[in-house]
Amino acid sequence: MALVEAREVNGSDLISALHLSQQAPAILGHNPANASVTSSTSSADTAEEYGRIEQLFLACLRTGDDKSAHACLDRLSHRFGLANERVMGLRGLYEEATAKDNSALEKCLEEYEKVLSENPVNVPIMKRRVALLRSLNRSPDAIAALIQLLDAVPTDAEAWCELADLYQAQGLGAQAIFSLEEALLIAPNAWNIHARLGELLYVCTSSAESDAPRLAGKSVQHFCRSIELCDDYLRGYYGLVLASSHMLEKEYAHEKFPEAVTASKSILAQLKRLGLQKMGDIVRSRSVDDQHWASSRSELIAAKELLNRFEKSRS
Amino acid sequence: MAVQGDEQSILRDPALFYWILFPITVVMILTGILRHYATVLMNTPPKSSSTLAESRERHALLRGVNLRNHACAVLDREAFEARKNYLVSGFRSGSFLKDPDNRGQPPANPMTDPKGMEAMMGMLKGNMMMMIPQTLIMSWINAFFSGFVILKLPFPLTIRFKSMLQSGVMTRDLDVQWVSSLSWYFLNLMGLQSVFGFILGSDNAANQMAQQVGMANPAAMMNPMQPGQDPDKLFLAEAENLEVMEHFSILNGIEERVLQNFLTAVN
Repeated sequence: MALVEAREVNGSDLISALHLSQQAPAILGHNPANASVTSSTSSADTAEEYGRIEQLFLACLRTGDDKSAHACLDRLSHRFGLANERVMGLRGLYEEATAKDNSALEKCLEEYEKVLSENPVNVPIMKRRVALLRSLNRSPDAIAALIQLLDAVPTDAEAWCELADLYQAQGLGAQAIFSLEEALLIAPNAWNIHARLGELLYVCTSSAESDAPRLAGKSVQHFCRSIELCDDYLRGYYGLVLASSHMLEKEYAHEKFPEAVTASKSILAQLKRLGLQKMGDIVRSRSVDDQHWASSRSELIAAKELLNRFEKSRS
Repeated sequence: MAVQGDEQSILRDPALFYWILFPITVVMILTGILRHYATVLMNTPPKSSSTLAESRERHALLRGVNLRNHACAVLDREAFEARKNYLVSGFRSGSFLKDPDNRGQPPANPMTDPKGMEAMMGMLKGNMMMMIPQTLIMSWINAFFSGFVILKLPFPLTIRFKSMLQSGVMTRDLDVQWVSSLSWYFLNLMGLQSVFGFILGSDNAANQMAQQVGMANPAAMMNPMQPGQDPDKLFLAEAENLEVMEHFSILNGIEERVLQNFLTAVN
């Protein structure tokens, strides 16, 4: 079940990852591992080249091409040495991905603990440990490990996002919101994180009754910001429509809460109309160009469904 | 003083070209390449922090700067005040410091601190790489080729260039177009950068190091603090900067703004 869900969430990337990993033999073949010894000063020996190999490695792992992944890993460790922190992290990732059962994963975990006892600030390994604890269903441990990591490196947006995700899975809305805000402080123009924060706030309105109007208002604001930063951001419009209609339904507009910073009713209604209109446009234009938007097909379907629901409720 | 317009002509032995001008140029290029590889070999990558507390000390300042710069785009008033109070009290009390007990004491002498020693050794090595070859070559040229006039520039120059082009040749009346061997060395020293760029790739003496850093974790490598700086002082300054900051948010009234922008775009 969890696997299916993961597929769906990451469905967007899976298609492109498959395309990438199918090119692995071509990319790896034209410059085999033994050739890189002689050409260590040639133009192929650039940071971009190794960044590409790293991405290829990840794509191969995702699509189950373990052999190509191992070839990528060999090239990276050949160039940078086994003691390089990032190579260690990637190797750990490979071990985890090819682990047969839980006991193998436990062994990976022990390995990480050993590495960390030697060098406590090995950030890639720390991150792997968190991910591994999470996949072993030990979320509280994962959160504790992540907090330890963030205490040492508080300027890591990726880690803050992961922490938010973990907190949300545990049902700790306020903490998740705080973590995402920290991530946004590091990358203030990331429209996807703005939209994610909007979603989180929207979800939290259902659980926190007393604070709901404020949270819903902030949710609308963050969706607005994500739209402002990225034109035609379907997810942002989707959230905007949901959040503004939710606010209209529950009458959170500020006739009732004069001190709140939320927008007035008419503005919310206009926002909702704008969101619906834009969503309709986007869905129409992307349905025509189906192949190009194949990776975000699930988003498109969801948007269509929402549009249909509002059509029905109007008629 | 030479009469203007009257071409000075000096008969030069062609051997001057083969045995002075050409060797100096070749030696300069080879030294440059050698120095590049020596720098690469002797360079030690910047040490990443070895304990969690040290890493926190490095990044805490950055967190304050981030809050100051980006709070207006993300936070509302409550969230901002909470973070501001947390960071200010943390900076003030020194809880972000590597070892809060040593606070207020004068910074340790960098000579006794092994890490400071290492950083200084790195700088020293870099300087040595520049200094030693230059001294050697210059004394070589001075010993063997001093006083030779080896080159005539094909264009006239003003008298000001005399000291630049004719160092080592003590004549008042020689035309500025003539270049002495020592000056040829200086010209090579300054002007061969683009040749090295052509031979060794775009940013020579650094391109391999850039790779090493690229593969390492960039966040852990970053060190905003210079060796020898007192982090406590930096923290106190940052706390003051945060305290005087006035909160505003671009999220206030964003609904109207979005409506305005997009409704005009749609219609």
